[in-house]
Amino acid sequence: MIYFITALDAEARPLCEYYRLKRDTSLPYTLYRNEEIVLAVSGMGRTNALMAVSALLGWRIPEEKDILINIGICGAPSDYRIGEALLIHQILDGDRRYYPDILYSHRLRETSMRCVDAPQSVLSDYPVDMESSPIFQAASRFFKLHQMAFLKIVSDHCTPELVTKEGVMELLRSHVNSVDALISSLSAVEKQPPFFSVDERKKIEVFKTHFTKSQGSALEDALTYFRLRNKGEFPPLNPLIPNSKRERSLLLEELIATLTA
Amino acid sequence: MKNSLQPSPPKLFSHLYIERDVLDHPQSQMIRRKFADSQVILIDHYKEVFNRPSQSFAAQSHSKKLILARKEGKFLHEGSQYSDGFGHEQFFYASSVMGCLYDCDYCYLQGLYPSANTVLFVNLEDAFEQLRPYLGGDTLVATSYDTDTLAIESLTHQTSMWLDFADQYENLYLEIRTKSANIKSLKSITPNPRVTLAWTLSPQEIVDRYEHATPSLEKRLGAVAEAISLGWKVRLCIDPVIYTEKFAILYTELIEQIFRTIDPEAIEHLTLGSFRMSQSHLRSLKKLRRSDVAFYPYAVRDEMATYPEAIEEHILETLLAKTMQYLPKERIRTWQRQS
Repeated sequence: MIYFITALDAEARPLCEYYRLKRDTSLPYTLYRNEEIVLAVSGMGRTNALMAVSALLGWRIPEEKDILINIGICGAPSDYRIGEALLIHQILDGDRRYYPDILYSHRLRETSMRCVDAPQSVLSDYPVDMESSPIFQAASRFFKLHQMAFLKIVSDHCTPELVTKEGVMELLRSHVNSVDALISSLSAVEKQPPFFSVDERKKIEVFKTHFTKSQGSALEDALTYFRLRNKGEFPPLNPLIPNSKRERSLLLEELIATLTA
Repeated sequence: MKNSLQPSPPKLFSHLYIERDVLDHPQSQMIRRKFADSQVILIDHYKEVFNRPSQSFAAQSHSKKLILARKEGKFLHEGSQYSDGFGHEQFFYASSVMGCLYDCDYCYLQGLYPSANTVLFVNLEDAFEQLRPYLGGDTLVATSYDTDTLAIESLTHQTSMWLDFADQYENLYLEIRTKSANIKSLKSITPNPRVTLAWTLSPQEIVDRYEHATPSLEKRLGAVAEAISLGWKVRLCIDPVIYTEKFAILYTELIEQIFRTIDPEAIEHLTLGSFRMSQSHLRSLKKLRRSDVAFYPYAVRDEMATYPEAIEEHILETLLAKTMQYLPKERIRTWQRQS
């Protein structure tokens, strides 16, 4: 699943059009989704972002291969072009700093970003937004650092009063391809297929119930060793379990020896 | 998702995280020039990047970043029970780099560090200051213990700095352990008899399987031969030996291949040792689920995981017998658990 977080509905709309997302009423937040993507509109500012991301990720807990992208507009110093898409590599929030891991190549301009409490009318040293820090803080409880990205589009040079809803939609519309490319990049990093099929996992768990916890983890290690050595199908996990504790231990020892031979 | 093109990983050190305090250090400036296309991100302290929670060591291994920092506190640490001090009165290892360019599945660094990125402490001059008080006595310093300094010598020049320093102190012995084939930097330096270059060698099948991003066995042997011809003192390390079903064939062929290329008389020592690791590092390695090495049913005693005694003995007996065809026993060192 791909998680999008935007602050404004105007930021969400172009993505909904492009990815054909439909409204979902599962949470008390504006949600849109399709089979692959869920988009939450958090509302502006720190508290809204923190609550929305926590609610979204608590509702649908991410799996290992999932990714999260915070997409939105930002104010920026004048050396950033209006309409330029930025990939954030450092989020500055007072004394705190957060670093998404960018482990893929891309064509976007990278920059640091300041997360502030209110729209800025005075030029800062870096681009500014109001949600990146709380989104990072909440999401990094669920995602690894390379599974999150912060994509910001420069909407103004700290003249927020000039930013319009239509203007925001147009800016987002012009960067759906950047979003698409970012999804591909993020999704391509570290795709590790599960070691065991669902069926194998079931058999392993049933078999482990006959042994102590430490015997169970020794068996798990041996099976992982076997799989990592690409030795193919497991030997059968014997369903005829002896009653005697000693015989069960011997059975396990033999199985581990076979798996790790 | 409409775009399914697979992007390539970025180039090595695509991002330089630099502590503000060392931004103007000559070594930082040199590295910035060398990686002019990399993103430069200013940080206050290396730990805010290197020690972040929720990093993926496995994912970062394919896209390592470089962190430039100032080492606070001790550069030198006493040698551990897992390594050989070669009989010197004092044995230290220097920790001037955290992380390694190479990516070996059996390496304890994966269990030691939360990140696959590399931290380079640029203030090596402080390590020399810390070492000076000890140099009244016979002292061995392993400069490449927590990393492979020779592999990144073109970037750091730290090996050259250590060699310059060692020239000034007759009680100082250095061990520079490496898997690198890069000895370009040593060609312009007069060999110091108190400096030993130690190459870790493994069968090519083990290199392919477990020693990612390292030079091939052939290239390492080429570097060994060249270092010998330049007059450097060389030690060879078949350590750690990884036990597989083909262990005996692979490692006896390795020993034959070594001595087809290298004159045994030119070797100071050859070290043999089977894989061992602290239990806590092994636990961390298992969590990464990257390699079968972590999941072998080791024997764990006193917090140290080793092959079961019978296998460990088999490994050493087999390799010792083979090595003794080329070298006298007194020039073969072995690591074995003290019972």
